[in-house]
Amino acid sequence: MAANAVADQRIVENLASRLRRRQVVGSRASALETLLVIRQVVAKSRFSNFEQLVDIIRAVGRKLVEAQPKEHSVGNTVRKILHHLREEYNNATREVVPPLAGSFSIAKFVLQGQPRKQHTLVKAENKLHLKGDDPNDPDSFAKTLKPVLMEAIQDAFDELETVYDNVAKNARDHIHSDEIILTIGASRTVETFLKTASHYRKYTVIVAETAPSFGGRDLAASLSSAGISTFLLPDSSIYALMSRVNKVILGAHAILANGGMFATSGSMLVASAARVHSTPVVVCAGQYKLTPLWNLYHEYSQLDFGDPAKVLGFEEGDLVEKVDVVNPYYDYVPPDLIDAYLTNDGDHPPSSIYRLLKEMYDDEDTKL
Amino acid sequence: MTSTPFDVCSAYEHILEDENISTPLASILALVELMENSAAGTMFELVKELKDGAEALKRQSSNSISLSAGTELFIEFVTLFPHDASSFLELKSELIRQGHNYVTEALSYRQKIADLAFDFIKDGSIILTHSYSRVVMQTLLWAHKRKRISVFVTEARPRGLGIKTAEKLTAAGIPSTVILDSAVAYTMNMVDLVLVGSEAVVESGGLVNAVGSNQIAIIAKAMNKPFYALAESYKFHRLFPLSQYDLPTHNSQLLSFSLPQGRTHRNSTASRARPGSNPPVAGIRPSDPAEDRKITQEQIARNNPDVDYTRPDLISLVFSDVGSLTPEGVSQYLVGMFAG
Repeated sequence: MAANAVADQRIVENLASRLRRRQVVGSRASALETLLVIRQVVAKSRFSNFEQLVDIIRAVGRKLVEAQPKEHSVGNTVRKILHHLREEYNNATREVVPPLAGSFSIAKFVLQGQPRKQHTLVKAENKLHLKGDDPNDPDSFAKTLKPVLMEAIQDAFDELETVYDNVAKNARDHIHSDEIILTIGASRTVETFLKTASHYRKYTVIVAETAPSFGGRDLAASLSSAGISTFLLPDSSIYALMSRVNKVILGAHAILANGGMFATSGSMLVASAARVHSTPVVVCAGQYKLTPLWNLYHEYSQLDFGDPAKVLGFEEGDLVEKVDVVNPYYDYVPPDLIDAYLTNDGDHPPSSIYRLLKEMYDDEDTKL
Repeated sequence: MTSTPFDVCSAYEHILEDENISTPLASILALVELMENSAAGTMFELVKELKDGAEALKRQSSNSISLSAGTELFIEFVTLFPHDASSFLELKSELIRQGHNYVTEALSYRQKIADLAFDFIKDGSIILTHSYSRVVMQTLLWAHKRKRISVFVTEARPRGLGIKTAEKLTAAGIPSTVILDSAVAYTMNMVDLVLVGSEAVVESGGLVNAVGSNQIAIIAKAMNKPFYALAESYKFHRLFPLSQYDLPTHNSQLLSFSLPQGRTHRNSTASRARPGSNPPVAGIRPSDPAEDRKITQEQIARNNPDVDYTRPDLISLVFSDVGSLTPEGVSQYLVGMFAG
């Protein structure tokens, strides 16, 4: 079956249209759905060598990304799986580490550093006997590789399942007693983070209500019911209260290679206000939000727009005719306004995000 | 072997005549030639000869920074090269082959960098660049193929290489204007991004480049404009300057206050005490007081640096053939090569 035909399957088509219609929103939900689709596609599809498999996954990824290019976690998930697959495949097929002398060159020296580092032999204990393009049994390749693939996909699943707790596991190191924390939006990651910290510390949270979605109200209610002292704040008063705040904790929609991020609208306002008072800004986010994209011209067109009815409803019929109403979902926050990213894979400054990306994904997948 | 002894410096000069070969590559090629002409019988002797050759190159050059980046890379590679050669001669010819291969490969790096930088140039951008740089030229010409760009280029005194850039750009049909080095701040508000080449990128992630780059970076930072450095990876240099005066190119003659010859000490202290007066420059006959106060361009150039150092916090990104890096990322590669 050709890769493109696979991508046209019902299940892929289904998720693509749900993404397009915004029935699946949020970076984690999209990542999970993407994983489910890829798992099913891989389970069903036939391939007789590794390239075919990669082509299939890429085609599916391309289709989903095109359906909703601003839901970056879809593409990230696909890239991550491809990276895992290549790793597993290389581990399984590598006979011995190729002799160095022939393959070593100055360019490699610059790229990879001193040669002895490459000497670490990969122990392939449970080596699979892979044989691609077997004319007698075209399915043999898939049969041997599939369990490994499923394992790789399952790993990615597990990571997503536990992401909130893993981000929050060091929460008490970041929040101290009697601190005043400010946040905006309704990020599940931040919510778990704050609640985890409240097991160890007594502190106060100020939540900006985040118009026009008012996610902040839900977050405030949830934190308050968990026994955390919580204030709800109109967005317009963020600057006024910033002088009293010890730390700003934000959620992210997508983290970009330059260390900047897309986050719920209002985040830029909070981060700028924090900068004036030199208040530290930390961002809690799962690794799947890291996006290999250098956002340079974060213009209007780069943003994603929501339903304008929340800003100006149709009951204001007279006005609706006369004004353009926009309701952008996200702000772009530049890296110099962010002090640290707390992820499920440790804490990082914005300047080292690009390096994490290099380790997480393969360069060839940046464009799916 | 020829009867005349091999001279690494003249070989280097000869290689540099090729317009496409930059100084670090030329120094690598010069060392490869030295190796071809070497009579060394052991690895130890060979490395010593290479080091002496590198030292000789460094001595004859007025600006040794990018040259040393090349020689140090090559010598480090030679010492660490893992081999299974059975004889020394075999190893030597393999190393020579590697050297030539690298230079051939490295010539494609500028295009790689141009490709990377391409995405960062928006259609309709106004770009500021400094002096003349081959990699910047290639990037601008590449961008011109698909996007509308206009370029401001600084004159870059004392060598005035900015004019060469402007001429080449105009010939290629890119609108460009030469601006005075002193007009950078005036211009910066109109600029979308700054693109400069490099002599070397040092371990801190800072940039060593034609003098004036530092002030452009400071002004760009003050006006919140991105400042991008383009550097081939052979320009990564293991150096950690903390200030301008830590660069190996700095010497006591640069920016020195010179006293007019024949003046008595009393006079000169009096003139120095007067605020706002320009200190007269040495080398002028004291007989004619009017001549005494004349300062020539040559004198100014002699007293001024060729290159300056730009701190990493002023640089937005370094584009290199190994990828687009934040300035901190450069040290990762240097540590990989030179510290184990």
